[in-house]
Amino acid sequence: MKNKITAGKILSFVRDNSVPLMFVLICAVCIPISGFSWGYLINEIVTRMGRNIFLILALLIPIMSGMGLNFGMTLGAMAGEIALILVSDWQIWGIPGVVLAMIISIPISVLLGAFCGKILNMAKGREMITSYIISFFMNGIYQLIVLYMMGSIIPIKHFSIKLPRGYGIRNTVSLLNMRQCLDNLLAVRVSGVKIPVLTFLIIGVLCLFIVWFRKTKLGQDMRAVGQDMNVARDAGINVERTRIISIVMSTVLAGFGMVIYLQNMGNIATYSSHSQIGMFCIAALLVGGASVDKASIGNVFLGVILFHTMFIVAPKAGAEITGDSMIGEYFRVFVSYAVITVALIMYETKKRKHKSQNAQQLQLAQEEADKHE
Amino acid sequence: MNKRRLLFRVGAVAILLAIAACMMVIGRGHTVYVDNKTLEYNGESYKAPYRVNVYVKGEQIARLAARERGMTTNIGQRFRMTLGVIEEKGGDEKMVDVSLKLPYSMDGIILNVPGYLANLPQEAWLSEFVSTPTEAEMQDEEIPSEEEDLLAGEF
Repeated sequence: MKNKITAGKILSFVRDNSVPLMFVLICAVCIPISGFSWGYLINEIVTRMGRNIFLILALLIPIMSGMGLNFGMTLGAMAGEIALILVSDWQIWGIPGVVLAMIISIPISVLLGAFCGKILNMAKGREMITSYIISFFMNGIYQLIVLYMMGSIIPIKHFSIKLPRGYGIRNTVSLLNMRQCLDNLLAVRVSGVKIPVLTFLIIGVLCLFIVWFRKTKLGQDMRAVGQDMNVARDAGINVERTRIISIVMSTVLAGFGMVIYLQNMGNIATYSSHSQIGMFCIAALLVGGASVDKASIGNVFLGVILFHTMFIVAPKAGAEITGDSMIGEYFRVFVSYAVITVALIMYETKKRKHKSQNAQQLQLAQEEADKHE
Repeated sequence: MNKRRLLFRVGAVAILLAIAACMMVIGRGHTVYVDNKTLEYNGESYKAPYRVNVYVKGEQIARLAARERGMTTNIGQRFRMTLGVIEEKGGDEKMVDVSLKLPYSMDGIILNVPGYLANLPQEAWLSEFVSTPTEAEMQDEEIPSEEEDLLAGEF
């Protein structure tokens, strides 16, 4: 009997954590094949944690309010990029440049977030696909601004940023003067591994903010909206407003996250930096064991570690196995899409199973009541 | 919207604007070019010393013979450096502390050492460095297509 219970517990643990476990397996196979040293791997993972965690944390708030995975975080990433292009042209360097870019990104993110939130309120129950399409739509507007309005309507002074024709921004904008300024300040080296203490402190502050925010009135409202919109509305919560606020917060945080991400990279790929950021952040979160309706800070950290280990080792492992590094490159993109698909299928299956269980219970209760009558 | 909430919002925006303005000033980056070149000013010639060592924040950033140029970067308007001036070959190094306010509007600034050492007015030894685009910078670029986004790139 005891064995049966233990086996059941193990089975349910495996079922609940199938995605992280699958990634642990992939990493366990790929790491030895790739031939990377542990020192190199840890160094890379720590760097990528500092670079990406803030962006992924931005996804937690919409999940809390029941809006699923916010593919619309790309909008915040675009706001961060526009802010960085402007700051780069104004020649504001170092940490002041990063802070200024974050401040400039706020109004752009708020506008885009409010727009996205309003549309998502019209598409309740289909938030993820809607936000995904909004990000494509906004990418068009972003390109219009960056390719045609910057330099002609929005003043851009420097040759190194502007296209030779006199308007539009180059494919790559250098952020050399603010490269890793956050990461290098207060950085410590522990057995050859560089730990960006200030970046981790900023991430820590955001984690504390999220923990605190969950306990506030607005946070509780968001959780109530996430659990059941109709009940929340009956309880006097302004559901639409709460949902818009959650998307705005997520977009603003994504804007900040993008600034942190790009200062680490040291350059902006003007037309592509933001394009896949939403997908990769969501994939990393799902790899950490989150689902469409439940995600925690722990999922973010675990997801970044597992997903990025796979990201680092896959090309090399692919090259070792097949002799072609491109296979590994495609493999990691394939895995990113696959993990999102698997997570969505599992979520839907679980939801249906839960629904049918509820229906069965209701039927049993009805039969009991009929018997008594 | 009640008055308290409005005040709070206006206050938050004002604080953000103040921080942004502060960052604009303290974060303004300049590239400073230090020239050890003979200067002609008002019909007089100010000869370049034999060698000038340039120290910024205790670190030697350039060792300039006559007619040479060194470069450093500076964040903010206040620029400090120490010049180690050797007038003639085999002579002693005379240390001169330089502290000046860089013009906000200039990205690149050229400082002429002989002019500065001769206590000439600022316009004589400080000028703007205007960069001309390189050939590579003048070449047109192709904007990446959608297909190129299929690969993950760096994340």
